[in-house]
Amino acid sequence: MKTQKTALVAGLLIVLAVLVAVLFRSGGREVIRKSAPAAAGPPAPSPDASAPKPTLKVSVFFVRPSDGLLVPEEREIPVSDSLVQETEAFIAELIKGPTGDLAAAIPRETKLGRVYITKEGTAYVDFSRELIENHPSGTTAELSTVYAVVDGLAFNFKDVKKVFILVDGEERETLAGHIGLDRPFSPDYSLIGKK
Amino acid sequence: MTHRCVASAQGFAVLLAAALVVAAGAVPARAETAVPARNEAFAAGTAKAATGTAEAADQKTIVIDPGHGGLDVGAKGKFGNLEKTVDLAISLKLKTLIEQNMAYRVLLTRDKDIDVSLENRSALANNNNAVVFISIHANGSFRTATGAETFYMSLTDLDEETRKLAYLENNSSQLETRISDDGKDAVKMILWDMAQASYIKQSASLAEAIQRELPALLTTEGRPSRSLAVENRGIKQARFKVLTGVACPAVLVEVAFMSNPEEEQKLIDEDFQTSVAHAIYRGLVSYMRTAGSRPPAPAPSPAPLP
Repeated sequence: MKTQKTALVAGLLIVLAVLVAVLFRSGGREVIRKSAPAAAGPPAPSPDASAPKPTLKVSVFFVRPSDGLLVPEEREIPVSDSLVQETEAFIAELIKGPTGDLAAAIPRETKLGRVYITKEGTAYVDFSRELIENHPSGTTAELSTVYAVVDGLAFNFKDVKKVFILVDGEERETLAGHIGLDRPFSPDYSLIGKK
Repeated sequence: MTHRCVASAQGFAVLLAAALVVAAGAVPARAETAVPARNEAFAAGTAKAATGTAEAADQKTIVIDPGHGGLDVGAKGKFGNLEKTVDLAISLKLKTLIEQNMAYRVLLTRDKDIDVSLENRSALANNNNAVVFISIHANGSFRTATGAETFYMSLTDLDEETRKLAYLENNSSQLETRISDDGKDAVKMILWDMAQASYIKQSASLAEAIQRELPALLTTEGRPSRSLAVENRGIKQARFKVLTGVACPAVLVEVAFMSNPEEEQKLIDEDFQTSVAHAIYRGLVSYMRTAGSRPPAPAPSPAPLP
């Protein structure tokens, strides 16, 4: 009886390990290794050892004020073995907003809940309610928000094929009265503006 | 939380798959039982369409949908103007124009400042076998974008099966040979959730026709003191919740940007609203002429614009 139980637990653990391995495996991407971080050991307090962590260069899309189209700003996020962690870091940059002349695509007060990615490549991205409550509303603004997330994820992470946007963990009918959030989005690069 | 959504997405896939099986087997009775799961208005519309007793000699219907209403104010202008108010004003003008000049009955999804669910807006069109659905909106952006644009439904996120059906429906000669009339009804049933997919081609033509008129009319109206010109942003596709369930050619017109202070001033200007209504009306007339969408007999020749 006891051995049976142990076997069961062991079996479950293996299944879980495989699932985690599959889910968290991220695809090919451009990894930038600044200087040589090899054999770093415990973080030495030397002055130039502060930034040798490998980073991933990503294009984060923001709104061009003149026409409402999306244009990229380059950012670097920490490389991780976990695709989920990298996509969460990407969304954090998106929420942080632009540094230049562009406009934010997401209300500043919005917080990211979690990202969950199915093995088919659908990313469920969960935002706090500020995403819709503080949204200016309007078709163009809603499209900016949706595709800054969808195009941004699909463009930077090739394992993300579709994106389902959730608010406070739930599916919403629309973002702010126009664009339906009730099924996953494929990327639509027609909203990306030429530089 | 995410698990629940995954489950519901799978549930949807299963439902769609089931519906497809039903359609393939051409068992309309089964398909019909699936419909009342949606709201009652939808079910009523379906029953009507299925029995085919709906219109006959009646006037054909055009549905105009003033965006938002009630607590849902839509986009807000810097000067405090609300999208819902402008949407309704233009819609009322457009209704009058159509009724004066064309032999169509016009129904509004709302004729005052009230909340109407998105589902009930499309249901109104479906229940009345509308030939055209026009949703009127004023745009909003994260800064100062300007211009007018006309949208129709985007199909990029449809399931492969639904897209195939949409293709078949848009190439009806193929469809007729493959599925009997009953079968065709069954195909329509499963598309309630995505009814607009069947009309995507006509919707695109309607959007084109309206967008051709929008900037043109607004710029040639010629107001020396205060230009009513609006930039042409063209026609676009997007996944509008209000259009998904509409079973007829359907577009959503974004007249101008409420979020742009200059355009906000235009939007509340009655001359501008009238001018926009005329533009949409002219686009509608040219669509009706060319799209072969059987103008009701006797076909009226639309009166020239004042």
